[in-house]
Amino acid sequence: MITSPRKHIIASIATIIAAVILATLIASAFGAASERVLTVFFISLIAVVGMGVYSGNSGILSFGHLSFMAIGAYAASLLTLPAQLKIATLPKLPEWLATTEMGLLPATVIAVLLTSVVALLIGLAIGKLEGSAAVIATLGLLIIVHGVAIGWRDVTRGSQTFFGIPAVTSLWVAAVGVILALIVGRLYRDSISGLRLRAGRENAIAASAVGVRIRRERLISFVISAALMALSGALIAHFLGAISPKKFYFTDTFLLLAMLIVGGMTTVTGAVAGAVAITLVTEILRRFEGGFSVAGLEMPAVFGTTQIGIGLIILFAMFRKPDGLAGLKEWEERLFPVRPVAGTHVEIAQSVNSQPLTAKGMTMQFGGLIAVNDVDITLNPGEIIGLIGPNGSGKTTLMNMLSGVLEPTKGEFLLGGEKLSALVSHEIADRGIARTFQNIRLFENLSVFQNVLVAALSTRGGKYAEARTAAALARMGVAAHADADAGTLSYGDQRRVEIARALACEPSLLFLDEPAAGMNREETDNLMETLRGLTSDLGLGILLVDHDLKLINQLCDRIVVLNEGHLIAEGSPEEIQNNPAVIEAYLGPNRQD
Amino acid sequence: MDLLLQQTVNAFALGGTYALLALGLAVVFSIMGLINFAHGELMTISGYTLMYCGIAGISFLLAVPVAIAVAMIAAVLMERIAFRPVRNSSAATMLVTSFAVSMILQVLFQNFISTRSQPVILPQVLSDSITLGGLVIGLNKIAAIVATVVMLVFLDIFMKRQKTGIAMRAAAEDFNVARLMGIRANTVIAGAFALSGMLAGVAAVLWVSQRSSVDPHMGFLPVVKAFIAAILGGLGSLRGAVAGGFLLGFIEIYLAAFLPPEMQEFREPIGLSIVVVVLLFRPNGLIPAASLKSEKV
Repeated sequence: MITSPRKHIIASIATIIAAVILATLIASAFGAASERVLTVFFISLIAVVGMGVYSGNSGILSFGHLSFMAIGAYAASLLTLPAQLKIATLPKLPEWLATTEMGLLPATVIAVLLTSVVALLIGLAIGKLEGSAAVIATLGLLIIVHGVAIGWRDVTRGSQTFFGIPAVTSLWVAAVGVILALIVGRLYRDSISGLRLRAGRENAIAASAVGVRIRRERLISFVISAALMALSGALIAHFLGAISPKKFYFTDTFLLLAMLIVGGMTTVTGAVAGAVAITLVTEILRRFEGGFSVAGLEMPAVFGTTQIGIGLIILFAMFRKPDGLAGLKEWEERLFPVRPVAGTHVEIAQSVNSQPLTAKGMTMQFGGLIAVNDVDITLNPGEIIGLIGPNGSGKTTLMNMLSGVLEPTKGEFLLGGEKLSALVSHEIADRGIARTFQNIRLFENLSVFQNVLVAALSTRGGKYAEARTAAALARMGVAAHADADAGTLSYGDQRRVEIARALACEPSLLFLDEPAAGMNREETDNLMETLRGLTSDLGLGILLVDHDLKLINQLCDRIVVLNEGHLIAEGSPEEIQNNPAVIEAYLGPNRQD
Repeated sequence: MDLLLQQTVNAFALGGTYALLALGLAVVFSIMGLINFAHGELMTISGYTLMYCGIAGISFLLAVPVAIAVAMIAAVLMERIAFRPVRNSSAATMLVTSFAVSMILQVLFQNFISTRSQPVILPQVLSDSITLGGLVIGLNKIAAIVATVVMLVFLDIFMKRQKTGIAMRAAAEDFNVARLMGIRANTVIAGAFALSGMLAGVAAVLWVSQRSSVDPHMGFLPVVKAFIAAILGGLGSLRGAVAGGFLLGFIEIYLAAFLPPEMQEFREPIGLSIVVVVLLFRPNGLIPAASLKSEKV
């Protein structure tokens, strides 16, 4: 389930437990005031980690998570509120709820479960939206839940204060909660789902092309993060003893978001760093709020000093450290880099599929432009086919259709007997068609190993994923870079990692879009040898787009030529070289004289 | 029937204001991908300008162009100071920057002007109403509808005929290609902000003329609504912003008028839930932006 090295996880969890217990002991020694500050800090941190589980891993900022905190707070409070008080203040509650009175633990568990169910439904709806539209939708969610909390007087007392909640959240209770939240957040980040989601954050199209179902992973993280928010809500309600819908609206949303963003969304280290930084600053600025005197000089009371302070910190962070104080890596990842795995002698499994891919009448229309027009093509396992044509002739578009990135306007393609044209990108990847991209699409902030591992985990049921990853890395000769961030590699290495990532899917057909672009002659020759090996050793079929005609002529068994969206020629390299239509397409008409 | 017509006029007035705000957001978003949280503060600045003009005894007719001009200048300054440093960052970075700007400006208003709502002196004529075929319509509503129509016509001509407008449309489809064609990034972005400031200024005048008061948070709620109108219409699409603004205005006014009294408290959640249902069927909005298709694979 967990994809990162065991020592990272152990170091992280041990530190979390030790630091929380230490902080708790220190605060207890300083007395009640510091205990209160630390309790609020812990509860806020639970919420920040909760927001990070979704926003950090998916890259989608959420303004709506305080809604889940509200649901958790009200649900838990309704369960723990003394029955007599409930009957007096909320006379219209249903009988079964009015007479229920339980302890904090069962109430919190029920509140968390209830919130998870609500989050599942909301997540299904929000999951249909992309990018900034999803962000604004979460803003809508906040307003909707706030409106319901105010309107539903019989249950929430409306905009009035919901009081009488037993104040049973002690510092130690909050400490247990925060340990739990930090561990869940840390484990999720490096779980299979978390890794897939981070791949989707880095590059959604590439993630789908290696089999990741981004929407499902987003939904999983959405529900987990909502559950953590509910935990935070239940604890804050039982700490304050009284809540109102205002507590879970814009002001606190901004405060918690500021913690998340200043620290760095993508790591648990960042969540902690941000919560510490903002809490310290607010605690200090709060002392200045009512005015103060420096060396006999009276400073006037400035309203909202803390807010200005937080605002300036955010601006500073965005201008100087847009990835947050902690950056993109956990502290233990920086401290204990992983040594590349060397000397593994695993081989990629032979391709078992012997079915051809047959495409008929493939057509793609963009507005008035017909990029690909009625093209038939057949790809056989064990065969290397070159796809060439002048710029804009539709090569990449054809490849995009055959890999499910684009939905064809007309036409269909089948692998063996199965119709693939109705499937989406990640399903096609799972049927054994893997690809690379013309503009390299790696998951730049993940390591090379993780880049390839995601592909192995997300195809063929994720079986033997680590062995498949090692084999693919070794095959492409990039095992030595396994621990480097993919975005830091040289251009040629990035191309090789992309092919390794595709190989980790154990495809029967491999689509390569300009794999030799940016490589020198020697690198191109090596690539040629590697690709030949893939067909001869593993029985893969390769569809190759490239402008390097030497590479195409030497490597390909068969060449297909496109021009202005039409297939104009097909045949062996010799036939193509002498085909008048091809010469005309490349050099223009009437060049003989 | 009369009630329906009456409310339809109200819906056009409110929807028009949302449409202008959503357009202002869309102009900036379509070009640089920034969702500008501080758009509401441009409105507030404009509202305060109206207030000070009233106190200084400047006639309302003169105060309106001044207020709009101040909003435009504030928008351009905002871009220059706060958004240029994060111009090529991720959408989240820009969004968060704008939200910090919004927060700081709100606190500044609270400290330097007042935390309370301040009255704005408006000409008497705005609170008059006329009777039109049995309908009593406030002149401020008519002014709002007329102003919206004028702005939309102006914007349409500007975007189609003016060089800067055409450059903005090109930049919205593909900024990189537009730059290769010799369009200056700074000019286009400053122009987009000036335009969005102008739209915010007009919206502020309309907003204030319905309420005759201004407070530090004045712009916040209408702009949140405008965000929602913008995704309802299709984020980054100008026509979509207008459509979304009007649709949201209609939803809100009709719910306020026709929802049974015991449901009125849930007006806001119900209205937004209708928006969500529309989005479930049209995830890219009513009129999706052209730039959605332009990502090269």
